[in-house]
Amino acid sequence: MIEVKNLQKNFTSHVKEPGLKGSLASLFSRKMVTKQALKPVNLTINQGEIIGLIGSNGAGKTTLIKMLAGIVHPTAGEATVLGYVPWERANDYRKQMALIMGQKNQVWWDLPALDSFILLKEIYQIPLAQYKYNIEFLAETLMIKDQLKTQVRKLSLGERMKVELMAALLHNPKVIFLDEPTIGLDISAQKAVRGFLRQYQKEFRPMTILTSHYMEDIKELCPRIVIIKEGEFVYDGPLAEVQRMMGDEKVLSVTTREKTFKVSVPRHELSKKTHEIFEENYVLDLNIHDPSIEDVIESIMRSGVSPT
Amino acid sequence: MKWWRYVVAMELRKLLAYRSDFWITFLGQTLIQLLVARALWQMIFATQSVSVMQGFTLEMMTLYYLIVPIGMKILTGENIGFLAREIYDGTFTRYLLYPLSVFQYKTITYLTYSFFYTTQLLILYSIFRIFISEAPYTMTDMGNLLAGMALFMMAAMAYGMMALMIEMVSLWADNIWSLMVMLRFFTSFFGGGFVPLTFLPQWAQDALVWTPFPYLVSLPARTIMGLTTFEEVARGSVIIGVWILVFMEIVKLIWKRGQYKYTGVGI
Repeated sequence: MIEVKNLQKNFTSHVKEPGLKGSLASLFSRKMVTKQALKPVNLTINQGEIIGLIGSNGAGKTTLIKMLAGIVHPTAGEATVLGYVPWERANDYRKQMALIMGQKNQVWWDLPALDSFILLKEIYQIPLAQYKYNIEFLAETLMIKDQLKTQVRKLSLGERMKVELMAALLHNPKVIFLDEPTIGLDISAQKAVRGFLRQYQKEFRPMTILTSHYMEDIKELCPRIVIIKEGEFVYDGPLAEVQRMMGDEKVLSVTTREKTFKVSVPRHELSKKTHEIFEENYVLDLNIHDPSIEDVIESIMRSGVSPT
Repeated sequence: MKWWRYVVAMELRKLLAYRSDFWITFLGQTLIQLLVARALWQMIFATQSVSVMQGFTLEMMTLYYLIVPIGMKILTGENIGFLAREIYDGTFTRYLLYPLSVFQYKTITYLTYSFFYTTQLLILYSIFRIFISEAPYTMTDMGNLLAGMALFMMAAMAYGMMALMIEMVSLWADNIWSLMVMLRFFTSFFGGGFVPLTFLPQWAQDALVWTPFPYLVSLPARTIMGLTTFEEVARGSVIIGVWILVFMEIVKLIWKRGQYKYTGVGI
């Protein structure tokens, strides 16, 4: 179980005026600013659950994951994962946890993936039978068997991500932090990674926190989502419920001779608004539909609408 | 098998991954440095019209400059500076995730390179003594070589700890490259990497006795050449051993405070 109580993180950094004058001035005096990356947040996740953490860049998603993975210490608050305080970095905790970062390599760049896996087997003390089974299962499911003897730096981005996934999951972690695992991948690679994660979740039932900017990842994998805005949780609940939050709204997708746009309109104003659009534009196409999950989440992230 | 043996094996595999780089590192660099030093000292000996300078003949000086560049590689390895870079760009995160001590891991990778270059020293020194040197290669010489190699490994441990101390400053200061350059310079200058320490004034030699520097390069190199006494080696080993323990404690202290500063940038 993951339990987070009033967890908070501030980062301090210096700001420099642009230009040479600013650079010279910063040699003698520096203005420090403190940014509240994560305001006090609370969260509970049960074994086998997978949640999607959604927010714009700099919202605090990765900061939360870094703290739960034990990489950074919090400014205030408490958290336990599987009964351990993550930033104490107990070996028993680290043996049961994995962090996969879409933008960073963890396997060794100059060596074939299999060489890295052999070392990881020893570091995590994985029994031989389990190691063999996992290599077979992961390589088969990710369709990467033929690339395991090639230097990692020579693999494509998608292949590297698959290798990263294998490396992180070899020890059957009970808790997984996935930070944008499909970033930069082409559509078929994204699909493959998503398919794999779904299958892995089904077979091993780990607790998983997934951050992604791709809504497809969230829609396919996360029955529950947490929306984070400027360091605060603005929604924590079922994905399916998100649409209900804007149940009174309808979306008009309009294509005119000049442009294409979308307008959210309360249901009772639909007729009036449609009439106005037809009067003001030369309309080529008009669709009326319920807001998509993307529309709702975007709206929440923009306006910070709290769940009803 | 213990994990550290796999780390050693993997680091060696990384070293052997690029063939041309391997041979340039193994032979090219050392031979070029040796030839340049030999030419310079030949000129100095000729200009001064002497056959011995501060206890060194030209052949001894050549031998010294075969040992010293390899000795410096034993100290600085390939991994020195990596930790600071990893902290700077966030790849240090990897080691915080593994269920092992980051410093044990780093020390093992570092000593693997030191061990590799010690082997290089063994091979090139033996080739020099067997095929080039006029003096016969005796069992005593081989004993001196082994003692010197052991001293170099101790020196590598001390230098590694000093480097680690400085590299962890990057938890506060981000970029510490200039400090690493200073450490290398001090080691070369006060350790006997540029010229044998006997060329320094006596007061400077006396002042350095309780510092770690003379035991990093000069003592192991002179031991290999048979220029040290047993007492000198024993005293040097104790002093460098104490420094290793002191540096280890300082490293622990810095990490204890510095880990709160790590932000895992870039992820």
